[in-house]
Amino acid sequence: MAIGRQRAKEHVAGSPNGNITSQSEQGAQAAQSKQTGPDTTMLPTNPRTGEPLAPRAQPGYYPGFSTLRQQAFWDEATRNVVLERVQHTPPIRFFSPEEAQLMESVCARILPQDDRDEAHIIPIVCRIDERLYAGRIDGYRYEDMPPDGEAHRLGLRAIEAIAQHLYGVAFVELGPGEQERVLATIHDGEPPAAEDIWQRMSVSRYWMLLVQDCIEAYYSHPYAWDEIGFGGPAYPRGYVRLENGLPESWEVNERRYEWRAPSWAISGEYQPMGGGDTAATPGQEGTH
Amino acid sequence: MMKKPVLGRMGSGLRTPKPHEHMLGPIQKISQPMRRFDPGEEVDYVIVGVGAAGGVLLQRLARAGFRVVGFDAGPFWDTERDWVSDEAGSYNLYWNDLRVTGGSDPLAFGANNSGKGVGGGTVHWAGFTPRFHPSDFRVYSEDGVGADWPISYEDVKPYYELMEREIPVSGPAYYPWGDPHGYPYGPHPLGGVGDALVKGCTKLGIGVVAGGPVAITAGSHGDRPHCIYRGFCIQGCKVGAKQSTLISHVPDAIRHGAEIRDRCMVSRILLGSDGLVTGVRYFDANGQEHEQRAKVVLVCGYSIETPRLLLNSACSGFEQGLANSSGLVGKFLMAQAGNVVLGRFADLVRMYKAPPAHALTEEFYETDPKRDFARGFAIQTVGPLPIAFAKQMMTAKGAWGWGLRQVMMDYNHWAAFGFLGEILPWEDNRVELADETDQYGLRVAKITFSLHDNDKKLVAFGVNKTMEVMRAAGAEEVVQEPRYAHLIGGARMGNDPRSSVVDSFGRTHDIPNLILCDGSIFPTQGSANPGLTIQALAARTADYLISEGEAVRSRHTQTIIRPPIRYHLSPASTAGRGVPRLRSLRPRPTIGAGGLAPGSKG
Repeated sequence: MAIGRQRAKEHVAGSPNGNITSQSEQGAQAAQSKQTGPDTTMLPTNPRTGEPLAPRAQPGYYPGFSTLRQQAFWDEATRNVVLERVQHTPPIRFFSPEEAQLMESVCARILPQDDRDEAHIIPIVCRIDERLYAGRIDGYRYEDMPPDGEAHRLGLRAIEAIAQHLYGVAFVELGPGEQERVLATIHDGEPPAAEDIWQRMSVSRYWMLLVQDCIEAYYSHPYAWDEIGFGGPAYPRGYVRLENGLPESWEVNERRYEWRAPSWAISGEYQPMGGGDTAATPGQEGTH
Repeated sequence: MMKKPVLGRMGSGLRTPKPHEHMLGPIQKISQPMRRFDPGEEVDYVIVGVGAAGGVLLQRLARAGFRVVGFDAGPFWDTERDWVSDEAGSYNLYWNDLRVTGGSDPLAFGANNSGKGVGGGTVHWAGFTPRFHPSDFRVYSEDGVGADWPISYEDVKPYYELMEREIPVSGPAYYPWGDPHGYPYGPHPLGGVGDALVKGCTKLGIGVVAGGPVAITAGSHGDRPHCIYRGFCIQGCKVGAKQSTLISHVPDAIRHGAEIRDRCMVSRILLGSDGLVTGVRYFDANGQEHEQRAKVVLVCGYSIETPRLLLNSACSGFEQGLANSSGLVGKFLMAQAGNVVLGRFADLVRMYKAPPAHALTEEFYETDPKRDFARGFAIQTVGPLPIAFAKQMMTAKGAWGWGLRQVMMDYNHWAAFGFLGEILPWEDNRVELADETDQYGLRVAKITFSLHDNDKKLVAFGVNKTMEVMRAAGAEEVVQEPRYAHLIGGARMGNDPRSSVVDSFGRTHDIPNLILCDGSIFPTQGSANPGLTIQALAARTADYLISEGEAVRSRHTQTIIRPPIRYHLSPASTAGRGVPRLRSLRPRPTIGAGGLAPGSKG
């Protein structure tokens, strides 16, 4: 946790307003090279060779496993819900175009998908937008938080303010490494700017709201199930091999490969949220 | 091309539903038309909330011949049409209307612990059904903390046995803790998480049971199939193997003339000039407001909505909330500590298979004078699916970005244990009304919750022990997520009208024909999942109401202490006199009375 706090402070100290670091230049170069060919700096690497791993249709250790290919074995109501999710991308109606663009950049760092090919990117922002537009909430609001939609709007303003404070540049213009550093200040519970916004909402609860909304979009998608080897919908067939992690006849065995997050990615290392005061951020999902 | 299903299709799949027809699984259905009482007709009982308690009460009162109407704010589910085998798609099972949550340890609601729709929370519980221990009923006498119940374990025991058959509960033949007993249905096979719990406990010499006790059929049961081990228990069991009162009691209630008005939100309990309640006001599915008159009103809305309804029903004579002369409506709210301990194994686990609830230990349930806190905890299996697990990785490891992607690719290497710790009743943990209103214009609940010293010590010790078990099972990395689980309290029972809201049958001290029956009336919560005890107390209250008959409306001194147990009221094919009783092979733990911690206001 000490490291987590340290890294935010270092950044505040080491990056006065307007001073674009070499990290950012690297990012700018990366953005440029995107126009000409695949941007290899965005990709995870093979830790042995240091070589970037080419984007693939299905990252993860279960090559050939497809939950969607099992859909004939699902019940009709479930199949309808999952296929609707895969086939339809709702339009942006809650966020303004500027907010939606910023949100895209933010969500691309919360759940990066640079290791996926274009055809297998899982849409995230439109799902969050859909929820906020419909006013769907999880049944409660913390007393130190505004309503979810307002919290997301305020959060985007704060992220922009932190980017300006640290780098003097709009968040969407930053390289991925700087973008991560901006977000990490919120993750660590020590955002260096937008004090007025943090007076109105809890830093850690906003972080959880943002990450959880991204998680719900990504890990509700069959492509994500294939990536992690989750069996997906299982009614009416059920399972026959319950023990020892054994695959069903229609599942596949794990085939691991080593990979490491891109070198600029501090999110590849695990740091406790909010500087380590985990009791302040209890989980919100039902399990038992 | 898609492979052709080899198993065919269970049941009839989606079809155009006939009026009044509900599929409750692939085989079970309610096909006869439901009774509809005339508008303006006074019924015997109105039940607000058809969940764990409300479902049992509806069934018993209807079977005994009373005219009963059950109200539920959510839908009367057709499980084939409405439920899915999908995490995100199960959103509608939960009470998602606004509540405001605060205090130093604010509680999460919605999917975490609150159901909406016929069956209530039993629709999305994991189904662990341990009994409370005898010591749970005399916590203040034994430990000098919390409160005593006005009844003992022996008062509830016959109803545990009754409900374990009606649900029915599967589990081991010898359950060693509390009052030792066996289960009527055999234990379930273990999944990867259960294997880990049994292995870790065995290595440390900790007693453990496997395969239950859980409210999931281990063999087919009437028109309910047995479990298929698909792991989606808390998303609503489409199979019909896991019990909810929707499938175990509601069909019998409908068959015996009960009416359910679903998507109807009760907004106020009405008080007559004679000091008795006269019925309820409610909004129907179209937002139209109506009244339903009744001789008796039963409120079964659980620990948030029950106090909220009483507070929102404040009126002349009860300015601080109906039946609230004690000032304790909404007070002494509890939640069990429900930390999730996660361990990564070198080998694959695939914890999405098998019901999340299938093995547990209550070895640490009782107060141990050697520890510096009162009461105890249980360790149980859980089986988070990908979305829940990703959120746990966010809180437990601080994962996001590439780290989140990477740990999620190891999903199949992780196992999860649920710690279940007893948090004591404190008056400052409470439900009040916020100034904000909901879609009906009703003031929403504001909940304040904070841990106290004993609670913090218990959680710290218990979570460490749970992590130790996970390591002993062979996990190479162990992390934990703080969390709170089941709700309890908010309108507690007692003998003294000054320090409690209701008597042991749920009858409010202030208004004879207003009865509360759900988890809100528990004075303490033990570290057993409350679902079985809520249903057992509902069956007991039903026996009391049936014995009292018309007299329940009078202000007489209560004479019935132990109503006769009405075994003939069980739903068809579940009747029977209980489950194996066993003699304990171990000495009862000796507990020094009092002196462990400063006494509470209880």
